[in-house]
Amino acid sequence: MSTELPPWEKVLWKRQPYPDNYIPEGALESSLRKNPNFRPYTYWPLVHLSTPLTQHLATIFIFICIFVRLKDHSLDPRVLIFSSLGSFFVGYILWEILRYTQSPSHNIHGSKRNERVHHDRVKTLKSSILIFLALMSLSPVLRTLSAATSSDSIWALSACLFILNILLADYGSSNPVRQGRPERLTSVLSMNAAISSSVVLASRLSNDLAVFALIQFSVQSFTLFPMLRRRLQLQTFSTYQVSTRAIQAILTFALSISSLVLAAPLSSTIAFLFLFVLLAVTFLAPAVLVWAQKYKNEIRGPWDVAIPKVN
Amino acid sequence: MEPISIAMIADFFHPDVGGVESHIYMLSANLIHKGHKVIVITHSRPSDRVGIRWLLPGLKVYYLPFVPIASGATLPNFFTFLPYLRTILIREHIHLIHAHASLSSLGHEGILHSHLMGVRTVFTDHSLFGFEDAASILTNKLLAGTLRNVDAVICVSHTGRENTVLRGELFEQTDDDPPRLVVSSNVYVIPHAIVSERFQPGTLQETDTITIVVISRLTYRKGIDLLVATAPRICAAFPNVRFLVGGDGPKLIELLQMREKYLLQDRIILLGPVKHNDVRSVLIRGSIFMNTSLTESFGIAILEAACAGLYVVSTRVGGVPEILPEGMISFAEPDEDDVFRAISEAISIVSAGQHDSMKAHERVKTFYDWAQVAERTECVYDMVMKSEQRDLWERISRTMRLGRYAGPIYTIILLVDCLFFLFLEWWMPREDMDFVTHHWDPQRFASVVQGMQSADHEPKNKQT
Repeated sequence: MSTELPPWEKVLWKRQPYPDNYIPEGALESSLRKNPNFRPYTYWPLVHLSTPLTQHLATIFIFICIFVRLKDHSLDPRVLIFSSLGSFFVGYILWEILRYTQSPSHNIHGSKRNERVHHDRVKTLKSSILIFLALMSLSPVLRTLSAATSSDSIWALSACLFILNILLADYGSSNPVRQGRPERLTSVLSMNAAISSSVVLASRLSNDLAVFALIQFSVQSFTLFPMLRRRLQLQTFSTYQVSTRAIQAILTFALSISSLVLAAPLSSTIAFLFLFVLLAVTFLAPAVLVWAQKYKNEIRGPWDVAIPKVN
Repeated sequence: MEPISIAMIADFFHPDVGGVESHIYMLSANLIHKGHKVIVITHSRPSDRVGIRWLLPGLKVYYLPFVPIASGATLPNFFTFLPYLRTILIREHIHLIHAHASLSSLGHEGILHSHLMGVRTVFTDHSLFGFEDAASILTNKLLAGTLRNVDAVICVSHTGRENTVLRGELFEQTDDDPPRLVVSSNVYVIPHAIVSERFQPGTLQETDTITIVVISRLTYRKGIDLLVATAPRICAAFPNVRFLVGGDGPKLIELLQMREKYLLQDRIILLGPVKHNDVRSVLIRGSIFMNTSLTESFGIAILEAACAGLYVVSTRVGGVPEILPEGMISFAEPDEDDVFRAISEAISIVSAGQHDSMKAHERVKTFYDWAQVAERTECVYDMVMKSEQRDLWERISRTMRLGRYAGPIYTIILLVDCLFFLFLEWWMPREDMDFVTHHWDPQRFASVVQGMQSADHEPKNKQT
């Protein structure tokens, strides 16, 4: 072969004096890009992102412990009703404070905004009274609703529903929930799963007051508390010099400890199980993710489907 | 080379229409002209396309009773094809099988089984795949398993080759120290070709209206979003431009909405689906061909348009930059502003009369030719036939190197396949088979056809 071969070109329209299986040195590497948009995760931010999940799990554990205590009559339903009423008011005040600090434009359109806030408050009051009364009148119905079903089925069903609730709940923090934006479907499904689960569990209780207390507690911990939690998560306390992370850490710690404290007298095995799950989700799972990143191998090249840029 | 018997295996074949289908048909026809014997094995088409049929230049087609599951492909199940394939390959005295398309499971199975009969294997990949989504990961694993023991792989563009090499893990370890991975020497690039006589440029009418032709399936992957975004801008900037859009698909609605919103009903003409036979008649009504694909391994539509004398504007994706020289094509990034810029450039080139369609046609004619493709493919066949066939132990050890989980799985499939084959040898002995002794005689067929044409009768299964 002559030494003066023309350089190989990456074209098909002309016959080149090379065999069809010729590949020049380095031709493959030139168009290949590995992990181009890769941004490695670090450990502590992941732990921070996992706290909503831990909080949610701890809430469910607390709920289960409360249910067991109501069932074996070691907790007076009236105590539960009054403590959940108390926590409702504390939560509502916290919500109002957050709303006050969060809105960046509370001096613009002042009067109009005040009017709307006032309207919202009246609506909240109205609907809370309505729910309170409706639950109270419905609790005999709820108690006997699934009474005929055997206990084994009830445990299995409620476990499935709680798992569904955990899987579908909205733990996101990257997508800020703007005011007026409708809730995502998955979080609505998740909430419904939790409420249904508590309704089927309520049929195992012995009196109407206990049923009412349990359902009221479930409404608070599975619909109202996640809303408050999300608001806390998105809150920036720049003016108060308190970081969101600290608030999240304190909340997570408080919920985890209270779930453990509630579970410990019932069964130490269960308490250890709770502790293990909470620690695994908060500390072990992020570590596994950080470790698994070294296996990431994303290959990109000219064959990828281009993303059209449209103004 | 010595004439050999070749079996093309693919899920995609006539009467379906498409790039792979016409490629197989044209390649087979040209190989028959070179004196080889070619048969095609594909799955049956509902209602009546079953059994054995003959296509015009003496191409025997076996339509096997498999049911397609999605977009014409059959379900990959590794074993059910073996009884049919064994009988056909032995009956027809096949030396080599040529499987097509990476989503055609019949082709994959053919490659898996053929070594049992001592038949050599070639695979042609026609498409590009990514590496990210679950479907790609699964099909790539399937492809890697199949291509582990194939004798040669043909890709249709250099970009396609890079893609196939990575997907099919077609690397070999070198002996030098430290060992490096190099691409196997049995991966070839042979482009598609077109029948340039069928894309003669039309005569230009003397008007100052410039028509931009788009012929494409109207789907996301064909970049119809870019067309929807740029067409109104082009119509606003150039009052003498009109669009001619052929094709059908889910994005048709967006195109209709855009046309209505900007009141362009008289300037954007939607033709609906265009049959392959009518493509030329649509192409010659315009002077610029616009392709906005987001991925393309070869871009046969671009080639047809260039051959019909149109100036081409295309997005710079996949194998498209390789197929035409500068001066016949303008490239744009897949970006609305850049597509607009490229189209404006093309309009100024065409309206200044700098693009000669007859000259473009003559140039494309010299680039791509089926006879040349058949010759290059023949070289690949020749290399394969001369090479040593891998024995079973080598196959097993190569398959085991596929991966910790995939390796044993594919090895089990390989071994079960061997046992199945032994069972078939006992159950349907070769001695009892009906061997094909007579084959099509082209000369005699030609004289018969002429005789029939004089009696004003058309042959039935004619494909152009």
